[in-house]
Amino acid sequence: MRKPALVRRDRVLPATQALGFFVGIVVALLLGAVLLIVSDHSPAEVYERMFDSALRGTDSLSRTLGRATPLALTGLSVAVAGSMGLWNIGAEGQMMAGAIVATGVAMMADGLSGPLLIALMMAAGVAGGMLLMLGPALARSHLRVSEIITTLMLVYVAIRVVEWLETGPWKDPDSFGFAVIEPVPEQAALPSLFGRANIGMLIALGLLIVFSVAVSRTAWGYELRLAGSSPDTARYAGVSLRRKVLVALILSGGIAGLAGAVQLTGSATRLESGLSNGYGFAGIIVAALALMRPSGVAVAAFVFGAVQVGGQSIQTLGVSSAIADILQAMILFGALVAVVLFNYRIRWTGPAREQQADERLGSAITQEAADV
Amino acid sequence: MAKKFLLRSLVVLTALTLVAAGCGNDDDDAAPAPAPATEAPAPAATEAPEPMDDPEPMDDEVVAAFVFVGPVGDAGWTWAHDQGRRYAETETGATALFVESVPETAEDFRAVALDFIENEGADVIFGTSFGYMDTMEELAGEYPDVVFEHASGFKMNDTNFGNYFGRMYQPRYLSGMAAGAMTEADQIGYVAAFPIPEVLRGINAFTLGAQRTNPDVEVHVNWTFTWFDPALEGDAATALLEAGADVIAMHQDSTAPGLAAQEAGARWVSYNSDMSAFAPDAFITAPVWNWGPYYARIIDAVAEGTYTPGAYWGGMADGIVALAPLADDVPDEVAAEIDEVAAQLTDGSWDVFTGEIRDQDGNVVVAAGETMEDGAMLGMTFFVEGVVGDADPS
Repeated sequence: MRKPALVRRDRVLPATQALGFFVGIVVALLLGAVLLIVSDHSPAEVYERMFDSALRGTDSLSRTLGRATPLALTGLSVAVAGSMGLWNIGAEGQMMAGAIVATGVAMMADGLSGPLLIALMMAAGVAGGMLLMLGPALARSHLRVSEIITTLMLVYVAIRVVEWLETGPWKDPDSFGFAVIEPVPEQAALPSLFGRANIGMLIALGLLIVFSVAVSRTAWGYELRLAGSSPDTARYAGVSLRRKVLVALILSGGIAGLAGAVQLTGSATRLESGLSNGYGFAGIIVAALALMRPSGVAVAAFVFGAVQVGGQSIQTLGVSSAIADILQAMILFGALVAVVLFNYRIRWTGPAREQQADERLGSAITQEAADV
Repeated sequence: MAKKFLLRSLVVLTALTLVAAGCGNDDDDAAPAPAPATEAPAPAATEAPEPMDDPEPMDDEVVAAFVFVGPVGDAGWTWAHDQGRRYAETETGATALFVESVPETAEDFRAVALDFIENEGADVIFGTSFGYMDTMEELAGEYPDVVFEHASGFKMNDTNFGNYFGRMYQPRYLSGMAAGAMTEADQIGYVAAFPIPEVLRGINAFTLGAQRTNPDVEVHVNWTFTWFDPALEGDAATALLEAGADVIAMHQDSTAPGLAAQEAGARWVSYNSDMSAFAPDAFITAPVWNWGPYYARIIDAVAEGTYTPGAYWGGMADGIVALAPLADDVPDEVAAEIDEVAAQLTDGSWDVFTGEIRDQDGNVVVAAGETMEDGAMLGMTFFVEGVVGDADPS
């Protein structure tokens, strides 16, 4: 029996990529128009409001960028692991872990000056994310335990830890018994660039550039991608798969942890159980839109941020939240489908001889262990 | 290869454009005709006021805007607020807009609030979830001409930021009286949300009420650390039922504990709104919210320019909290006693936390004849005697 398989096209020009994105969104908007008409809304009015609130003017733009910042970091986190075929589903939890450790640092060092405290909290965020990823990374690299399961499960652990801190040891004594953690010191608030866009955006952009270069232009990045796409080849070439898995996952966790610290200091006033707000899970979509390439994450995060801001604002026109959610999902799904179709072709193959990528990496690691 | 695909997708795209454009025109031209067909799917959407032709509201008309944390749905916390919004809209003649399912982050609340202020000309914004507090405080500073009213928090300022809540412990006490009379096992299970004063106060008031009609009653507490998680809350109720409870009370927003009670042949006291339709056999009564009068009052004050912020904590006297109708099988003498106590709570001649009240360890926390101050009630951290569970589970 012949089976369909997606095969990546050899060379896709950036212009083609952009066109794919655009086409996908336009198709989704047209389908969305049908939905809006059926539910008694004027598509023109709704889309105008979406555009206005997400993109027109510096205020709107700053709102979109404010949202795109954590999305870019969690998207990058997922993409770094994804570059080697690994799935970090738990960026949501690593964000929380990062925010927890950053809050702890702020509590111990709140007398420090702003820049120093912010730097420390960012480092703490990275450390927190890495720490939560340590278990899944080791389990993946040494025991072949699926990182998909372990990273996801730890999301709930991290959120519960925040709830425990809120109601227990870190409960703010000045909150009249309400279960809230004391606010982050004022000097730790990330300075604003304009409106809601803060310097977290520059941190995210900087990291995106570093990782884009590292993954696509360095030997380290080549080995990473090779280890993901053909682990056996990588092994013959002397690449240590175990180390690559560990490094990719731990970096991924650290970046998501940084996203938590950036959210804590850039947008939130205090650590709370809603802080991660789905940004970690949304990072998976961002990374998928970017085809797991760090270089595409910035655009994908911006589009996602704009769709979120726009999708929410149309509710003030009387569009129900369900319709608004469907519309947002359609736009992102349209873009994703188009990006995949523009970058891959469907090949019909003979009887499936190919192992799952995941299996291949696992067995290659086992081989590697046997080699030693 | 790529070219061929491009061409094909463009063809599809063009076709879709034509189809969609065709749909749009048809609908615009014949708007009244297809109305019956589209009426059913979106009642909520069509009822929302939509200033289609006149997006800039007139200056003298007050625009109120509500930010809801969950979907309005059919029952519960957000539904009760939306009922209040509708009531206020009818009472005051103001436009009362809303956005539902807004997460409790600064980005989310701010985006919605700014849309309301800049695009819809909102004069007063009601935020109906605790987590909006810090953002509302910030916005109140940035937009001194807009009034911000926050439900369930503790922050306010002197000019344009107030908070409001209700003495839900009063109807909770009454619901406890009914539950105490209905339990045969003398064991009531309480599916509790978070260990915060509001929830502890509710459990204590409920227990004191239950003890009034049934001195032997025990109230067993099971914490879920959720506000809305039907699966978990249903499981928590089931665990309490299996441990011997035959009445379930709760603080969350789902109907799952009621469904679990009905399935087990037990009884149920719901919360937030009258949820009798969801588990009619189990339903006894519910302490419910009635936000409408407060919303109408604030909107009127904003319209007249007489608004001053406050920390409002109204009780049954104001009607902001009430007891849902009792199930038919609640004995008449119990119903009569509930009415009697309700009258005392309403006229202020008696309140729930009036001594002598002892905590779980037997220490007297309110001496005989004394009534607890608001400050102590708002910061309540203990369980009263008769509650089985940990008031500080962290």
